[in-house]
Amino acid sequence: MVSFVSPRTTFNSTRIGSSKNLPYVLIIPIAILTAFLVVYPISQGIYISLTDKTLGAAVDQKVSFVGLANYINLIDNSAFLASIKTTVSYATLNVVFSVGAGLLTALLVNKRFKGRGGVRALLTAPWAFPDIASVIIFIWILNSAFGVVGIINQHLPFDTSGGWLTSSPYAFISIIGMSMWKTFPFYSIVLLASLQSVPDDLLEAATVDGAGPFQRFKNVTFPSIKPTLYLLGLLAFIFAFRQFSMIYLTTGGGPERDTETLVISVYNTAFKYYDYALSSAIGVAGLVITFAVAVVFLSLQNKAQKRF
Amino acid sequence: MAVVVGTKKVVFARSIFRYSIITMICLMVLFPLYWMIVTAIQPPDITLMYPPVLYPQNPNLNGFRELFRDNPMSKWLINSGFVALLATLITTTFSVLGAYAISWFQWKGKTAFGLMLLFTQMLPEALIVIPIYKIYDQFDMLNNLAALSLIHAAFVIPVGVWILRPAFESIPREVNEAAQIDGCDYLAVLRKIIIPLCSPAILAVSVVSFFASWGDYLLAVTMISKQELYPASVGLASTMSQLNTPIQELLSGALIYGLPPVILYMFIQKYIISGLTAGAIKG
Repeated sequence: MVSFVSPRTTFNSTRIGSSKNLPYVLIIPIAILTAFLVVYPISQGIYISLTDKTLGAAVDQKVSFVGLANYINLIDNSAFLASIKTTVSYATLNVVFSVGAGLLTALLVNKRFKGRGGVRALLTAPWAFPDIASVIIFIWILNSAFGVVGIINQHLPFDTSGGWLTSSPYAFISIIGMSMWKTFPFYSIVLLASLQSVPDDLLEAATVDGAGPFQRFKNVTFPSIKPTLYLLGLLAFIFAFRQFSMIYLTTGGGPERDTETLVISVYNTAFKYYDYALSSAIGVAGLVITFAVAVVFLSLQNKAQKRF
Repeated sequence: MAVVVGTKKVVFARSIFRYSIITMICLMVLFPLYWMIVTAIQPPDITLMYPPVLYPQNPNLNGFRELFRDNPMSKWLINSGFVALLATLITTTFSVLGAYAISWFQWKGKTAFGLMLLFTQMLPEALIVIPIYKIYDQFDMLNNLAALSLIHAAFVIPVGVWILRPAFESIPREVNEAAQIDGCDYLAVLRKIIIPLCSPAILAVSVVSFFASWGDYLLAVTMISKQELYPASVGLASTMSQLNTPIQELLSGALIYGLPPVILYMFIQKYIISGLTAGAIKG
């Protein structure tokens, strides 16, 4: 039984008598929407990836079927391989830093202190803040001529005169910083909720037994929040994998494709290099990754449920 | 928590340490927002001074005036509001129906349906935005705000179902048996019992879908090309790419466009924290 559908698999019959057709009627709207806007586009994308279609060509352009040529092209396409590498490192660093910072913050805010409610409310502000507004702020802050980052620049031991968004490796660092700013406060709130479930008496017992803060964390706190941490790690990965506008509008994938993650690559290949077919093939590769992530998610969720 | 560690002095030192780190984190998180406000309300000649002054001087509202004068900003905000409200309405209604089907009934194909939702939820829109554009072109649905909100809804509905399902399942069986004895049919049970009892979760779904639609840029910029139909995200991005847009005006735009979701969120955050855990994927 796949757990996403029913985590409590105890209902063998329907909970309110029996109705054969009602559930199907209930899901009709979702089914139609998904068929039209997800399934059909995906099939179109797969079809195009098997042709040599380009964007912006004449309307009567002949499109011919080229089989797997686009995929074979991908295997030794250095830009594609680089974008996979960029995606993986961007996503992994996001997981480590965002969830890490979220955990640190949650542990600090977990103790009662004056103004905790206010701090919590303020900390989640970036999560609710729209991408484009964040982009405008960061482009301004990181502006190489007038940005407030100039105050820090002169004290740094390395040369950032090429601009935080326009030179390597600072552009990559900047997009990680931006997505971290946007997500870690939210992860800290989720972890905070999870920390409330750590049994107080266990922590006290550990203290009585002479365990220091680090040992208490390792032996008591960590085991009880582990499922949440894994889940958040995966969410952070998915967030990074999906991220489009905050990268596209700040660096556009540059400099030199330094920040071109897979989704940016799909867009650039179609709209910058007009290769619609190759773009679709990259998109299909992305779909495979999405599918793999979904499988990992399900198995994590299964494991988490077995614990309780 | 009654954990006493070390002497009073140690405890005091620890709490100082804790407060300073919390303050530092808050400053890091809030500085970009603060800097947006400062830039939005002070004249550009002061903003462009070096080194920058970290507090606002000669505050004025010229940025907002210019923003609305030079651009159809109020139109853009209304467009965003329209798309977001419609997407919220569709998402909430469809999610309630879907979650009811998935949490209260056993039926063939339920597993497949759940998997499809999960996959849709994780799918980056950017991967299929071009085929969607082609399809919308075929059906003459480009430059149509209602059609845009349909796409937003399609991508947020899985999150909605996921948030609602546990809430729906937590309603005790007896309540329904009682309702059925009183002669309620399935839809009446949904309307009279489940929806009222699960209103916090339903509110969470509405908020999440409003945020997702209000914040969307990629789908909007692809489907909408007429300036008067731009949602605020696309409108602001278009002023951003014009090099002559004054910085005060731009940051005023970010402020006006960015603030409504933040305020909305602060008012209702206590109702939605738990549901949001599930919604994080769309974050």
